[in-house]
Amino acid sequence: VRCQQYPPLRALQASAALRRASDEHKKEPWASSSQQHFDSPPAGHQPEQKPQGPHPSYTGQGGQESEDYESEEQLQHRILTAALEFVPEHGWTAEAIAEGAKTLGLSVAAAGLFHSDGSELILHFVSECNRKLSELLKKEQKLVQLGEAEKKPIDEFLRDAVEARLRMLIPYIEKWPQALSVLLLPRNIPSSLNLLTSMIDDIWHYAGDQSTDFNWYTRRAVLTGIYNTTELVMLQDSSPGFEDTWRFLGNRVADAMTMSNTATQVQSTGEAVVQGLMGAAVTVSN
Amino acid sequence: AGPEMHFGFQSVTEEERREKIYQVFETVAKKYDVMNDSMTLGIHRVWKDILMHKMNPCPGTLLLDVAGGTGDIAFRFINYVRSVRQRQLQRKLKHHQNLSWQEIFESYQKDKFNSLGDSQVVVCDINREMLKVGKQKAQHLGYSEGLSWVLGNAEELPFDDDRFDVYTIAFGIRNVTRIDLALQEAYRVLKPGGRFLCLEFSHVSNPLLSRLYDLYSFQVIPVLGEVIAGDWKSYQYLVESIRQFPPQEELKAMIEDAGFFKVDYENLNFGIVAIHSGFKL
Repeated sequence: VRCQQYPPLRALQASAALRRASDEHKKEPWASSSQQHFDSPPAGHQPEQKPQGPHPSYTGQGGQESEDYESEEQLQHRILTAALEFVPEHGWTAEAIAEGAKTLGLSVAAAGLFHSDGSELILHFVSECNRKLSELLKKEQKLVQLGEAEKKPIDEFLRDAVEARLRMLIPYIEKWPQALSVLLLPRNIPSSLNLLTSMIDDIWHYAGDQSTDFNWYTRRAVLTGIYNTTELVMLQDSSPGFEDTWRFLGNRVADAMTMSNTATQVQSTGEAVVQGLMGAAVTVSN
Repeated sequence: AGPEMHFGFQSVTEEERREKIYQVFETVAKKYDVMNDSMTLGIHRVWKDILMHKMNPCPGTLLLDVAGGTGDIAFRFINYVRSVRQRQLQRKLKHHQNLSWQEIFESYQKDKFNSLGDSQVVVCDINREMLKVGKQKAQHLGYSEGLSWVLGNAEELPFDDDRFDVYTIAFGIRNVTRIDLALQEAYRVLKPGGRFLCLEFSHVSNPLLSRLYDLYSFQVIPVLGEVIAGDWKSYQYLVESIRQFPPQEELKAMIEDAGFFKVDYENLNFGIVAIHSGFKL
């Protein structure tokens, strides 16, 4: 709480100094993924993203007047992103985070900033995947608006969106079951549920769903079910290129479409029956 | 003379305080561990274990244990990284199922001589007697690898900047005369991203418990000191110094002043002991 009272002055001097030093070294392999982090990066961040760019201007005395400072959150983001590279080897653990911190030039003790069960790492990964999905869908939508691409039928759209999102798990698929179990810990359920629902929301939004009635809930429930079951199928799929999973996904989406068609049919049949009964009642009363 | 400071409930100058504290620990050094066990009924071991668990060090960590005297934290650290390292090696072997026996043997040989995974702990204490006791204990218990003993003052550490991953001070910061200097030194010697951990007696806010605690502290502990260590005065000092030490929030503010981020504390046993943690970011 005390720290928040003077954010501009209390720059993270140690990490800022490290980043100035790392600017002079070769570009780190993960730097490109960190570019996606900052939607509106402060001016001082530019040098980090363009390794051949100019160095930040600073007076260099205690770093107090340096322009490139970052908040604790941004540093934590960087560490977690760097840690993802080590997940296939170490799993979603404090060890992976420690290795990530090491690549940033920080001490391995920085892993102590996070929970030892890797919760934050997993949640960070999930929210990053969701963000990438949003960007992908937005780009596609722009292409359609510009007339450069055909608008996909709804089932194809849903299938492609879920497939794109699930493909992001492929590099980490071996350790993903561990991640799922951590996401189900009571402590993490609010956040993980939140991330899931906003992702499903996103997909429906870009699919063009404008419903304001009960359909809104049914659509989300259905798609969540499709996503979760496909994810579980993917975890034990050993077919080449996960073709079994995508086939399963296609079937589930087709099922959902049939179901909704049936529902509409049932509704219109129901209306027809009601009208018939009304007519019969009028006839009888006459 | 210098500014007035407290030595227990007495008022002394800075220099006098340093001298008196040195003498206290010189006298109690040999019975330090025994007294810890009897005063805290062995619970101090649990506190130190909790500290180690909180630190959760991975192999390759360089630890500086200040005021580490008789080596309790250092030995726990070595045990912890050794077991983590074992698990790491086991996992690596599981992945090596496709290698030939020769390759497995070679990798095992290489790792066998690195059972600590390059972890190291430096025990630093201002008091020669405490260090002596610590070294004897290490020899007796068989700790030799990854361990070194340095005579030094927490207010002016004999180490370069940005050297250590973790800095711990367990039940020692209370005896430092200029706590702000010790905190600044801690900041200086830690690497960027390094962690500061302080385990220390603190303030109990629960009124009932506080009264029982006071009763125990002032009536029982000095008596134990006389009976077991033959030294009433040192243990009177101990108990008084606990009361004089800043409470949790104040210490947290001091740590933040030294430049640490994400400063937090965890009360153990309702505040009898507290672990403060901060990061050099």
